[in-house]
Amino acid sequence: MTQPTRSDEPIWWALFSAGGVCFAVLIPGLILTLAIAYPLGLLPENALDYAQIRQWLFSDYWGLAGLVLVGAGLCLPLFHAMHRVHHGMHDLMLRAGGWGKVLCYGSASLLSVLALYFWYLGLSAS
Amino acid sequence: MSEPRQVNRAYQSQLRRNWWLKHGYYQRYMLREATVLPLLFFCGCLLTGLYSLQHSEQSWLNWLAFMATPWVIGLNLLTFFASLFHAKTFFELFPRVLPILPAPLMIAGQWLGTLSVALLLALLLGGVL
Amino acid sequence: MQKTLVIQRYNPEQDHKPHPQHFTVPCDDSTSVLDALLYIQQQLDPTLAFRWSCRMAICGSCGVMVNGIPKLGCKTFLRDYKDDITVEALAHFATEKDLISDMSVFLTHLQAVKPYLINHDTRPQPHQQTPKQLAKYAKFSNCINCGLCYSACPQFGLNPAFLGPAALTLAQRYNLDSRDQGKAQRMPQLNGKNGVWGCTFVGFCSDVCPKQLDPAAAVNQGKVASAADFVIGIFKP
Ligand code: SF4
Ligand code: FES
Repeated sequence: MTQPTRSDEPIWWALFSAGGVCFAVLIPGLILTLAIAYPLGLLPENALDYAQIRQWLFSDYWGLAGLVLVGAGLCLPLFHAMHRVHHGMHDLMLRAGGWGKVLCYGSASLLSVLALYFWYLGLSAS
Repeated sequence: MSEPRQVNRAYQSQLRRNWWLKHGYYQRYMLREATVLPLLFFCGCLLTGLYSLQHSEQSWLNWLAFMATPWVIGLNLLTFFASLFHAKTFFELFPRVLPILPAPLMIAGQWLGTLSVALLLALLLGGVL
Repeated sequence: MQKTLVIQRYNPEQDHKPHPQHFTVPCDDSTSVLDALLYIQQQLDPTLAFRWSCRMAICGSCGVMVNGIPKLGCKTFLRDYKDDITVEALAHFATEKDLISDMSVFLTHLQAVKPYLINHDTRPQPHQQTPKQLAKYAKFSNCINCGLCYSACPQFGLNPAFLGPAALTLAQRYNLDSRDQGKAQRMPQLNGKNGVWGCTFVGFCSDVCPKQLDPAAAVNQGKVASAADFVIGIFKP
């Protein structure tokens, strides 16, 4: 039996798992507050005040809360999602080969960088 | 002496693209995998929100208005249930992959985590903290 | 009491694909699917082909699909089914005749992970083990090589090169054994794309395993081991 080449899957699997934790632990609370309670008026009118949120995410503690939000609320869930999309394509017999992988993890990386960039812009403006 | 006739015609069935529709267990699996589709939508919301926040007050207000459109609320409601379904499956798998403590304890602990994060965010934004 | 079995027949000398045939068998509360197949073979149609041996869920040879789910014929009872019962050869494997599957892929995959104790110590005294050390792998050591988990696994169905639940579980079983020194030889197989990384934790294998090994858990514990091996590999090329 020939020795198979080592898969690079541990990298994507580690990101997928970390993102899975975020999706399960952080995302429900984020959706509940930002996307359901506030739009439905269940939170005070000024709960998402522009200056206040900017201060929390971009100023207080060197914008640490913003970085955590970007990492745990966006980057990791993105890698989680695109990992499942990648394997889902295989499950649905859409054989995209190496391109599917580039597309999936490439888009997750790109959007992650974009999110970090927005946070950095906010940080330097504050 | 005649050679025995070589019969080598084993029947190999092929999986079809819709294999996962054939069984409830597979459907549940695909549902679990599909929870990432609404998640991607919510990630898009967050990303545009982040953009608006660093851009200007007006675009932040526009984003808040966008988040309050009925179809966005509807989709995010779906995302919320997807995240809970994902959480249920994920929390149950975790103790099987890393059996550190008794499984029920680990599952309860993880739900406690989700609950406290939600509570913390609600209290923070509600101005209680 | 009587029940109807719908059996997918396949004769490699005549057929291009399997076709259903109905048989009515007498049964009571203790009649297993295997009993029913034996009745058919002895009383109705001696050409029906299927494998069996122990009749007590230990030899692992009587695996068939019962109503689309992989089962041991000797451990599945007609009393648990209300209507007609369909019986087919195990899914994802090639069918040689009627209910007889070609298990050679399965055996090759088992072999690939070296599922035996590898220990370079040749001294004659026994390799001792504490109950605690035994408990680490005991759960994964009850495999009877029935192959039901392969029929339940869509990843094996999609990609027959995937080593599959039982082989990866056996690898984990020996890797966790304190007497074993073969982990380094097994990891390269696990680390490949057809090793543990071929699994997406569908989890159906654990549902159908007649010995409750939880192969899905073993495979995914293997992912943790393989990821650790990956990190070690970076520092020690
Ligand atoms: S792991 Fe279970 S289902 Fe798979 S071959 Fe072993 S006993 Fe059979
Ligand atoms: S006949 Fe041996 S397991 Fe069923």
